[in-house]
Amino acid sequence: MSWAAHQFEIYAVQAHLPKKMLGKVSFWAIFLGDFTPDFLSKFWVYGFTFNGTRYGADVPHQWHRGWPGMGFTHTLFFGIIVTALFWLWKRNRAFTVGYLLGFAAHALTDINDSVGTMLLFPITALNWTSETWAYAATVDGGKYLDAAAYYSSLGLAMDVFWLVVVLIGWRVLTRDYWRVNIVPADARVWAFFARFLPERGLIALYRATFFYGICRLISWSAWTRIVAKPTIDGIERRGFPIDLSWTGPWWLDARSLPHVNPWLSFPVALALLGLVYWVLIKLWDPMGRAEARRRSRARTVNGTHEESGAHDSA
Amino acid sequence: MPDSTSDARPSGPADLDYRGVRRLTGVEEWIWYLVAGISYITLGIWHKWLLNWFVGPVWLIAIVVIGPWFTDRLRLTGRSEHEGPDDR
Repeated sequence: MSWAAHQFEIYAVQAHLPKKMLGKVSFWAIFLGDFTPDFLSKFWVYGFTFNGTRYGADVPHQWHRGWPGMGFTHTLFFGIIVTALFWLWKRNRAFTVGYLLGFAAHALTDINDSVGTMLLFPITALNWTSETWAYAATVDGGKYLDAAAYYSSLGLAMDVFWLVVVLIGWRVLTRDYWRVNIVPADARVWAFFARFLPERGLIALYRATFFYGICRLISWSAWTRIVAKPTIDGIERRGFPIDLSWTGPWWLDARSLPHVNPWLSFPVALALLGLVYWVLIKLWDPMGRAEARRRSRARTVNGTHEESGAHDSA
Repeated sequence: MPDSTSDARPSGPADLDYRGVRRLTGVEEWIWYLVAGISYITLGIWHKWLLNWFVGPVWLIAIVVIGPWFTDRLRLTGRSEHEGPDDR
C-alpha cells in the first residue's frame, strides 16, 4: 500500500487539471475520491484488539485488495459506479469529476506494491502489480511492520516522488491559488467552514492534507530508521535495514495475490489514467449543460412553488 | 506551503479577513507552519496514535489559528488580534 503518496497525489491531481477544468473541479471531491478506497477497506486490514481479542481480517492483503474481499473498493469499476451515482443524484459536475480523478489516483497508485489492485475488475479478478515494494500488512505485524517495510523500501521513493510532483507545482499550495481556484469550485463548503474559522484557518485546512502527508512521511521514516529495535534473523538491530531493491525489503516476505505479468502493469495503468482524463475532458461540456438544465428546472419548480405558496397565503 | 508572495502587500485593512482576524503572511506564516510541523513530527515519532487523518489536520489548524492569537494576547508580537498593523 502507499502511505503519504495518497496525501500528496490529491494536490498533484489539483495542480495538473486540464486547463478548462481549472477552478471548476471540487478539491474536496478529489480528497474524498482518494480517501474512499481505504476508508471502506482499511479499518479491517490492521484490525483492533478489544478485551484481549483481535478483530480484523485473517488474511489482510486478501481482504484489502482481493476478490473475494474488499478489493473491489480499489477498482476503477467501483469508482465509476460511485461517481455515476453521485452524478445521477446531484448533477454536480465539479464534484463528480473531482471524485473520479481522486479515486483513480488512489487505485492506480496502489498497483505499485506486491499485491496491487484489480484494475480490470469485474472482467478479471486478477491483480495488477508492478511489485515495486512489498505489501506488508500482516496480522502479527500490524501497522508498525507495514510502516517499517514501506519506509525501508522503494515505498519511501514513491512518497518522495509524489512530494516532488507537488513541489514542482508548488503554486497549488499558495493563498492566491486557494482563493482563485479552490474556493470558487467549493464555495458552499468553504462558506460553511468560514462560519467557524478565520481565513488563516481555512488556508491551513486546505493545506492540512499536505501537512499531514509530509509529517507522517518524516515521523514514520525517523521511527523506522532510528527508534525501532527490530529483531531480524535473530539479531537485534537499531532501526530496520533499508533496502531499495525491487520488491524490497529483503527481511520480509512480500504478500501477493494471483496477478498478471508485472511488466504489463505500468503501461495498462497509464493507459487507464489517460482514458479517465480523456473521457472526463470529453464529458466536461455535456455535463456542464446537463447541470445547467437541472438548475434551470429547479429554479422553475421553486419559482412555481413560491408563487403557489403566495397564492395560498393570500 | 506558506505564501511568501503576500509580503509585498501594503498593510492595513487588507491584513484583516472577513472576521476581522489578521492574516498571516511571509515569515510569520512560515514560522507557525514550522512550529506545527516540528512539534507534530517530534511527538508523532514517539506517539504513533497522533499520526492519523484527523489529528494531523486539526493539529495544523489549531496551531495556525490559536498560536498567533495567543502570542498577540501576550503582546509578544506587538499586535492585537483584531487590529491590522496600521491600527497599532
